Amino acid sequence: MSLEPNFTTDGGDWVCARCNVPLEQIKVQALYMHSAFDVFLPRCPSCGLTLIPRTLAEGKMAEVEALLEDK
Amino acid sequence: MLLSQTQSLCPVCLRLVDASYIKDGGMVYLRKQCPEHGDFQVPAWKEGEGAPEFLTWKNSPRIPARPREPATPLKNGCPYDCGLCPEHAQHTCTGLIEVTMRCSLGCPVCYARAGGREDDPSPEHIRRQMDTLFRASGPCNVQLSGGEPTERDDLPDIIRMAREKGFSLVQVNTNGLRLGTEPGYAAALKAAGLDSVYLQFDGVDDTVFRTLRGRPCLWEKKAALDACREAGLGVVLVCTLARGVNDHEAGALLRFALSQGEHVRGLHFQPVSSFGRFPWDMQEAPRITLPELMCALEAQSEGMVRASHFHAPSCEHPLCSFSAVYARKGGTLEGPVGAACCSGGTGLAGNVLDNAETSRVSRAFTAAHWSSPRAENTALNDDFSRFLARSGAQMRFTLSAMAFQDALSVDIERVRGCCIHVVSHDGRLIPFCLHNLTSFDNIPLYRGTDQKKGNLS
Repeated sequence: MSLEPNFTTDGGDWVCARCNVPLEQIKVQALYMHSAFDVFLPRCPSCGLTLIPRTLAEGKMAEVEALLEDK
Repeated sequence: MLLSQTQSLCPVCLRLVDASYIKDGGMVYLRKQCPEHGDFQVPAWKEGEGAPEFLTWKNSPRIPARPREPATPLKNGCPYDCGLCPEHAQHTCTGLIEVTMRCSLGCPVCYARAGGREDDPSPEHIRRQMDTLFRASGPCNVQLSGGEPTERDDLPDIIRMAREKGFSLVQVNTNGLRLGTEPGYAAALKAAGLDSVYLQFDGVDDTVFRTLRGRPCLWEKKAALDACREAGLGVVLVCTLARGVNDHEAGALLRFALSQGEHVRGLHFQPVSSFGRFPWDMQEAPRITLPELMCALEAQSEGMVRASHFHAPSCEHPLCSFSAVYARKGGTLEGPVGAACCSGGTGLAGNVLDNAETSRVSRAFTAAHWSSPRAENTALNDDFSRFLARSGAQMRFTLSAMAFQDALSVDIERVRGCCIHVVSHDGRLIPFCLHNLTSFDNIPLYRGTDQKKGNLS
């Protein structure tokens, strides 16, 4: 299965405030209601802090959440 | 072996007593003792044969969400202060409003003991109940219940009222007789804004209906399903399940549900509990525990469903329900693709809602057509997109069950986590099981204690 690094930041170059290093596209697993989703997201390679871009949070993630909750 | 401790009620005098979950052989019982009326026990969870273990299931993670504004003070302690009181540990997912106590069936099994000649609440009274619910719980789901709501000729107006208030889902709990026999009725309810029909449907032959409903009515139920399909109304089939009556038909009912078409969005089981009108002795009732139902579904579904597919709810208490959401493929199921939120209650949110679904689809449509080219190009390259693509709502099917608590099985910890609340006539929100709970002598804990329909401000 393709796991393209397709969820990038909504704009600009983001840097982890704690580690002061640029975020990289890293594969992470999002868990919600017994379902796991492997996606590439901007993440701090040092501390693991992950940025969920606003477009993703308000878009596909919100839709997936609605589906899982069956609302 | 003692597994855990909680509190319960004496089924005779309804006083609060300590209770324990005790494992004896393969069965977990809820046991309790009243200083005045003695010892009681009821089967709670049958382990073994692929069923989940009691403690593992009971400790499933969940998300507590307290009510926004408790409406009643702490005075006598749970379960006597509903509601909701500050100790209640879950917000309202579904609010029930009983719009009539009249009924066209008068079933031998009826938690509401419906069928009396009581006057219906006025539309103005129902409006105030809806206002109370919305104030306390926001845009939750609302289920119009009873009695038989379709006995009221102004039901479309009540549906319109709920729609205008802004509730996220409007559902009618019905025996389906009027839907099945009155041409145009389903379309009228749909036009009024009804999202979903919660259709009492206990089996695939009239023997079952004779026992549970007092007379054969399968053809009317089938006609109701046809009418809903034509009107574009989503339906959840709701089956009261009694051992020896219809537990052998669980798989057949699932196959029947799937054969009816995509408008049947789910099948929800409610194992019998001794409320209101109940033909069996409470202690000898033909109960069936949730894990027994999971295993029955596995055994009867020819491999479509496995007990391991089911998840505990993340909203109400884990011991209250199970669910699985599947993808439909022809007349069979694939998956599961997830678990439902609030699988039950009345099963409401666990099942589908056309309006909510419509808004989701329209959001998705807008996103697909107005988002950046980058988003379009990457359409199916990640798990979220793949999940969305294979989970078209019309292709989903929710299989769920909810175990109601009667005077023998009531567990105060479970009650405090309840997210299905009945709006009483005096404006309180009362967890569904407590609202319906009656003692051995049929004395209600709450129902009927709010008789004055006019005193809701």
